[in-house]
Amino acid sequence: MLNDEQRRAWQPVASSTDLVARHVFAGAIWGQELALWRADDGHVNAWENRCLHRGVRLTIGVNLGSELMCQYHGWRYANRTAGCTYIPAHPADAPARTICNRVYPAVERHGLVWAALEGTVEGAALPELPMDGLVLRPVPVDVPPAEVEAALAAEFGRDRVRWLVQPVDAGRSIIRGVLAEQPAEPLPVLRRWSARLGRLRDRLEALPRPPVAPIPPELHRVDPALAGLPEPGPAGTSLRLRVARKWPVAEDVTAFRLAPLAGELPAFQPGAHIDVALPNGLTRQYSLTNGPDDTAAWVIGVKREPAGLGGSTCLHDAVREGDVLAVSPPRNNFPLRRDGLLTLFIAGGIGLTPLLAMARTLHLARLPYHFHAFARSVAHLPFVDVLDGLGDAVERHIGLDPAATTAKLEAIIGTQGEKHELYVCGPTPFLDAARAIAAAKGWPDTAVHFEYFKNERPRDASNAFEVALARSALTLDVAPGQSIVEAVAAHGIHIPTSCAQGACGTCRVGVIEGAIDHQDVHLTPSEKARGDCLMACVSRAAAGRLVLDL
Amino acid sequence: MSSTEKVELDPAIRDAWHVCAVAADIAPGATAMHCLFGQRLEVARDAAGRPVVRGDGRVLPALERYGFIWTSPGTPPEDLFPLPGYDEPDRKNVVTGSVGIRVSAPRAVENFLDMGHFPFVHTGILGEEPHTEVKEYAVAIDPVADEVVATECQFYQPRAAVGSSGGAKTEYVYRVPHPFCAILYKTSPFDAVRMDIVALFVQPVGEEEIIGHTMMSIIDDRSTATEVRHFQLTIFGQDKPILENQRPRKLPLDPRAETPIRADKSSIMYRRWLTSKGVAYGVIPAP
Amino acid sequence: MLTLYDYELSGSCYKVRLMLGFLGLPHETRHVDFHPGREHKSDAFLAINPLGQLPVLDDDGYVLRDANAILTYLASAHDPGGRWGFGGDAARNGRIAEWLGFASDLTGTIGAARLHDAFFHDIDADAARAGGKRLLRILDEHLWFQERQGAAWLAPGDHPSIADIACFPYTALAQDADLDLADCPAIRRWHDRFKRVPGFTVMPGVFPARE
Repeated sequence: MLNDEQRRAWQPVASSTDLVARHVFAGAIWGQELALWRADDGHVNAWENRCLHRGVRLTIGVNLGSELMCQYHGWRYANRTAGCTYIPAHPADAPARTICNRVYPAVERHGLVWAALEGTVEGAALPELPMDGLVLRPVPVDVPPAEVEAALAAEFGRDRVRWLVQPVDAGRSIIRGVLAEQPAEPLPVLRRWSARLGRLRDRLEALPRPPVAPIPPELHRVDPALAGLPEPGPAGTSLRLRVARKWPVAEDVTAFRLAPLAGELPAFQPGAHIDVALPNGLTRQYSLTNGPDDTAAWVIGVKREPAGLGGSTCLHDAVREGDVLAVSPPRNNFPLRRDGLLTLFIAGGIGLTPLLAMARTLHLARLPYHFHAFARSVAHLPFVDVLDGLGDAVERHIGLDPAATTAKLEAIIGTQGEKHELYVCGPTPFLDAARAIAAAKGWPDTAVHFEYFKNERPRDASNAFEVALARSALTLDVAPGQSIVEAVAAHGIHIPTSCAQGACGTCRVGVIEGAIDHQDVHLTPSEKARGDCLMACVSRAAAGRLVLDL
Repeated sequence: MSSTEKVELDPAIRDAWHVCAVAADIAPGATAMHCLFGQRLEVARDAAGRPVVRGDGRVLPALERYGFIWTSPGTPPEDLFPLPGYDEPDRKNVVTGSVGIRVSAPRAVENFLDMGHFPFVHTGILGEEPHTEVKEYAVAIDPVADEVVATECQFYQPRAAVGSSGGAKTEYVYRVPHPFCAILYKTSPFDAVRMDIVALFVQPVGEEEIIGHTMMSIIDDRSTATEVRHFQLTIFGQDKPILENQRPRKLPLDPRAETPIRADKSSIMYRRWLTSKGVAYGVIPAP
Repeated sequence: MLTLYDYELSGSCYKVRLMLGFLGLPHETRHVDFHPGREHKSDAFLAINPLGQLPVLDDDGYVLRDANAILTYLASAHDPGGRWGFGGDAARNGRIAEWLGFASDLTGTIGAARLHDAFFHDIDADAARAGGKRLLRILDEHLWFQERQGAAWLAPGDHPSIADIACFPYTALAQDADLDLADCPAIRRWHDRFKRVPGFTVMPGVFPARE
C-alpha cells in the first residue's frame, strides 16, 4: 500500500517538548502507528506501536526509564534496541535474544523529533530549518495532508513561518510550524498561532469531501525461529567492539568498556555473558556488569590468572584502549527471576560481575535484594564505585579465612523465607560451600541459582557410545576422547557452545532416552536427576545409547 | 452499536449457534432489535414464551440456554454444547452482564484463556506481582467433543472469586466448545470438590465489534447477585481497554504473526483449531 | 462514617473514589447494580436519590448527590489543608468552578457515547462523540499552554484540584467512546502526571502509571 517515497521520507512526528520523562507518546506516519519514548539517558526511541507478543499497543505501556513495559503481560523491552529483556510469565528463563520489537530510525533536531518508516539515522535527509526557531503548538486536522499544505500556503504564505505537514494517515494531518526567530514574548505569539490554526482546521474540516479510507498498517512477520517456542540460537563472535576504556578496578582485576563501532549493541539480560575472541587465538567468557540503564557500551571485569592458559594475561597485557575485539552477542544461561519476595546475592571475588548486573536491575525496579560481596582485602574488591551506588543493600565481607567464610555464609543464607531466591557466583570452593549450606538448610534446588566460571571437577571422556538424534533421524558413534558436540558437528549438526567445559550452559541439549553421565557443573542435582537434558560439550552416556532431541 | 458490512460466512460459523440476547431482557410480547454478523435481528417471544428470532427477511432458528437466546444464520446442530454442573440445584446461576467491545470475537476468547495477564491487568484480584509465573499446564483437543481443553492450570490469585477473603493458588480448567465461546472451571472457595463456572459467550456484532456476554454458575450461598456481577464486570471492564488496543483487531492465524511463549500453549492450540475448522470470520487466515 | 453508593464502571462514581483515595478517607461502599440490573431506578434507590443517578454520598446521615457537589463537599469538610477545593485565591477558585462545569459537559458527551457503545443506552452516539471531540481539543489546547507556563494542572497553582479529579475519568475513558487521544498529547501527559499523584486509584479501563 505504501510507496517507497512514503516509506523513506523523514517526517516530523513530535515536538521535542512532547517527549517528557517517563511518558510514551503516540505518533504516526501514513497510518503506521509509532510509540515514541525518551529514556532517562535522553535517547529517543521510535518503535512500531505493537508489542509483538499479542499485538497490544505500546502507547498504553509504561516508560520505566531504561525499559518500556507492555501493559498486557509486563514484557520489558530495552532502550535503543527494543530487545525483550524480561518475560514475567517465565521468570526463570532468559527470553530468546532475538525477540525484538520493530524500531524506526529517529533523530531530534530543531526542536522536533523526526522519524522515517525506512532508512537509517545516518542517511536522514531533513529540511533546512532555523536553528533557534520557535516551534508552534502542533494542530491535528482530519483532512488529507496535500489539502492542508495547499491551504497553509494560500492562507499564510511561507515567509514568516516554516510549515511542515505530518501525514498521519491518508485523511489526517498535523500542522507543525517553526517561526524563524524567537520573539521576546513567545506566549502571546504561540496563542495567536494556535487560535489561527484552530480556525483553519475548523474551516477545512467543514468542507465537503468524500470519506478517505485509512491506510492499513503493514504487519511484518516475525522471525520463523520465534513462531514456535523460543530456543536460543547459535552465535559466533560476530560483533566488532572497540575498547573504549581500560582501567584497573581492583588488585589484579582490569575492567574493559567495549563500545560498538557504529549503531547500537544488541539487547542483553542481567546474568548474560559474551565470548571474547582474543588476539592470541583463545576465546574467553566474561559476564556483563551493566544495568539496564547502561546500554551504550558493555563493561566486563577480567581477573589476571597467571596460572591460566593465557587468556586473561593477554587481555591485561596486550589489549589496549582503541583496539577492536571480536565478541559474540550476549547469551544468558544465568537468568534473573524478578518474582522473588527477596533476592540474596552472594559474590566471591571476581564472581561478583554477573551479580552486579542483576542487582542493578532489581535496584532500578525497586525490588528487594541483599548483596553480599566477599573479598580477600579491600583492595581486592572490584567495582567498588558501582557497589557504592547500590547503597545500603550491599554488605562487604573482607579478609575472612575459610572457616570464617563458612560461618558467615551459614549466617547469611539461613533458612529460606517465602519466595526467597539465592544467586551465588565465585571461585569453585566458595560456590560449592554456599550451595552445600543452602542444601543443608533445606533450600530447594529451584531457588538456588549459580554460575561456575570453570569446571574444576575431574572429567572422563574415555568411553565410546552411540547417540540417536530423534529429529534428524540420525544415529552416530561418539569415540573415546570425542565430545557429543564434536561427533554431531562431523555430521553437519551445529550445537552452540561457549565455554567447552560444562560450566556455562550454552550447549544444553534435550535427552529423550538413555542414562546420562553428567560431567558438568551447570545443572542442579535435581535437573541432573531428571535426566532430560545434558551439556553436550562434556557429558556422555553412562551406558549404551542416548536419544537426543536434535 | 452500529452494524457493519455483510460478509460471506464460512460454514463452521454459519452453521453454529450464536448468542444474540440476554433471555431476561426479552419480555413476553416485546420485540428487541439486535445485531449479528452486521445484520439486524428482531428478537421476541411467542405466546408460549418461546424465543422467536427474525432476520434477513425470514424466521431464524432459536434456542434458549444458560440465560441467553441463541440463533443461527445457517443450519445449526440440534442443541448447544453441554455445560455440566449448570443444572445442579444449589448453584447460583447469574447472568453477569454484557459489554460492547471493539475487537474481534476470537481475540476476546483468546484473552479469556490467558493467565499471564492476571497480575498486570487484574492487579490485586486475579493476580499480583511478583507472583507472575505461569506454570506448565496441559492442553489438547478433545476429539469426541471437538473442543480445546486446557487442564492442570494454576495461578496465585489474591482474590480469585467474589467470596474469597485472601490469596490462594487457584486451579483452572478451560474449555473452548465453540469458536466464539469459552468456559472456565475454577476452584470454589466454598466447595472442595465441585468447581465454579465462568462462561464467556461472544456475540459477533461485526468482524471487529462484539458484545461479550458473561455468565457465572457458582457454589456460593453468601454473595448476592449484585456482588457477583460487580466482581465479574470489574474483571471484564479491565480486559476491555486491552482488547480495544490490540492490533490487528482480527486474530491472526499465521504462526509468524506474533510471538508465543510456553504460557501461550492454549492460545496456540486455539488458533490451530480455528484454522483446522476453516474459520474465516474475525480472523486473518494463515497464508 | 462515609458511605458511597457506587457503581464500579461509572466514571462519575470514580471521581468520588479518586477523591476519597487522595484524602485517604476510610469509607463503606454500597454497590448499586447499574448495569445490567438497573438498580438505580429501583424504588429503594429512588428514595435515596429521586433523580435515579449515581453517585450518592452519605456522611453520617447528610446525604448528597451529584459528583461535582460531592467533590466540593469533601474538599470543604475533609481536606484540612484546603489544597483540593476552593481554599485558594479568587482566580483559582473561578477556574476550578469553570472546569467543574466542563467536566459535566464531558459526562454529557463522552460519558453518553460510552453508555451507548458499551452498555447499549438509547442515545445519539455520533452527536455525543462529535461534542466530546470538540471538548477534548479545547482541553488539550488549555493543557498545552499550562505546560508552556510551567503549570501542571487545570487551575492555577502547584497542587491539583477537584477540577482535575472531575475531568480525569471521562477523558481517560475516551477510547470507550471510540475517541482516540493520540491527537491530544497534552491530555495524555496530564493523565500521566495525575496518575502519579500520591493516593491515585484506578478503575477498570484506566491503567496505573507506575513510578
